[in-house]
Amino acid sequence: MSAFVAIITVTVRQTLRLRRALGLLLLSGSAAAMYLLFMVATRNSTNSAAAQIEEGIEVSIGMTIGVFMNIVVPVVTLIIATSVMGDERRDNTMSFLVLRPIRRVVIAGAKVVAAFIEALIINGIGAAAFGILVAIKTETFSYFVPLLVGTAVATAAYAALFVPLGYLLKRATLIGLTYVLVWENGIAAAVPALSSLSPWRIGASAIAALAPRDFQELVGNEFGLGAIDPGAGGAVAKAMVLMVVCSALMASILRRRDLAS
Amino acid sequence: MSDNPALVSNPTIEVTGVSKWFGQKVAVSDVTCSFGPGLTGLLGPNGAGKTTLLRMLTGLTLPSQGEVLVKGALPRASVDRYRELGFVPEESALYNTLTARQYVAYAATLSGMGNPEPAADRALELVELTEDAGRAIGGFSKGMRQRTKVAAALVHDPEMLVLDEPLNGTDPVQRAHLIRLLGKLAGEGRTLVVSSHVLQEVERMTDRVIAIVDGKLAAAGDISAIRRAMSHIPYRVLVECDRTRDFAAALLDNEAVSSVSIDDSRIHLETTDLIALGTTISKQARDLNVRISRFAPEDESLESVFRYLVGGR
Repeated sequence: MSAFVAIITVTVRQTLRLRRALGLLLLSGSAAAMYLLFMVATRNSTNSAAAQIEEGIEVSIGMTIGVFMNIVVPVVTLIIATSVMGDERRDNTMSFLVLRPIRRVVIAGAKVVAAFIEALIINGIGAAAFGILVAIKTETFSYFVPLLVGTAVATAAYAALFVPLGYLLKRATLIGLTYVLVWENGIAAAVPALSSLSPWRIGASAIAALAPRDFQELVGNEFGLGAIDPGAGGAVAKAMVLMVVCSALMASILRRRDLAS
Repeated sequence: MSDNPALVSNPTIEVTGVSKWFGQKVAVSDVTCSFGPGLTGLLGPNGAGKTTLLRMLTGLTLPSQGEVLVKGALPRASVDRYRELGFVPEESALYNTLTARQYVAYAATLSGMGNPEPAADRALELVELTEDAGRAIGGFSKGMRQRTKVAAALVHDPEMLVLDEPLNGTDPVQRAHLIRLLGKLAGEGRTLVVSSHVLQEVERMTDRVIAIVDGKLAAAGDISAIRRAMSHIPYRVLVECDRTRDFAAALLDNEAVSSVSIDDSRIHLETTDLIALGTTISKQARDLNVRISRFAPEDESLESVFRYLVGGR
């Protein structure tokens, strides 16, 4: 096993403990739970079948953007990503890692990938549950894969940002939450030109590009993309660039700074 | 060979004019010393700067001033240098969800060893943890955790070992075993730097000592020479008795006493001959009909001893 894979394996095992995973799964499943409530509330609707499907699509888009991508994905990823290096720094296991003959970029890259994998497991389960309910309501699975791809892209981008945050700052979760609420849902929402700096919008641009035409036609601008053009390839590329840049930044920090206990 | 007892003729690790400060706090101040093959004890009271110095030897912490060279290069110059270095930190630094075998095998994998499990088993055998190798570290006693860390530091067979208080939390049997093991490793020509705040522990491991107090180099060299140096320094003794002032005045005539002071009806004495004082003070007390309720050295802690050393330089 290479050092890269070993670090990922141990990190996931150390940080994804059962109780914590269950708590995060509850958060991740909140969009699915809300959509289920909507389904139950509208099950006796007298509208036509086509109108019910149309309503199901509209609500699914609204929940994707307003709840899942906007709150669930960033918060779940924030909690996980800030702990993968932050916890190791606080419990002094970082000294165990950095005093081994491993390049710093391998350590940083493995930590970012570990955070991505962990967060994707949790967010992916939430997205899959939500996607299945949407498929049942709208009688098509065509929204399922776009939702998973968008979730993966946003998770990767947030993991890349929040791993260094967790290492550098003691109150990383609080500061990360402030970033999500103030920057992403305040400033970037008000200034469309800044939307490229919003990870969930990058993920949403992948969903918008991959979502079937009937979803797009129904919701118009509700994807909240601002100045971002829908595009799956571009979204994946942006997330990967963020992961590489943040790994390189972390590696540089590990090389230059004291590993304070 | 250098006349400076803090320096060795064939150094593996060289520390030159090293200081480290954290904001206003000076943790290490202008320390120059070197470490070569064999075991060197880094001795000093808690908070003396030992851990900071050890962290600078490994490259975990960068000096604010001065230079640390490991085999002629800066510790952080290349990560390949860590193939030759093992470090046992004082703090926990363990993954509680892993078993001891998984943890040590993880260390072997990270050190680039092709076959980590057999290497882990060998290292665990060295620290006598084979029977508990399959247990999660989270359930280990402090002594077992210490031995697990030592196994992880040894697993890649390093040429240099830096150990920060490795005997903390171990029971007497484990301690004796670890001391033997460290002695054996030093005998194989490896460079071992072992910190401790317990003089007797270090005495059992090595003759060569670097002593640090308040971040400064307080003494270095052969431990018996340091002890001899300490014999010229007066001991402080606390005496509690009735008729404090009368007895303190009488003690001024005692030849074994070099100074007397009174504080809150307690007498503080300084003596260079503790045995003579013990004999004569009881006679004086009987003659004056004074009842002594307490007679205790004030300087038994290592910290006090080293403060003398710093003051005596």
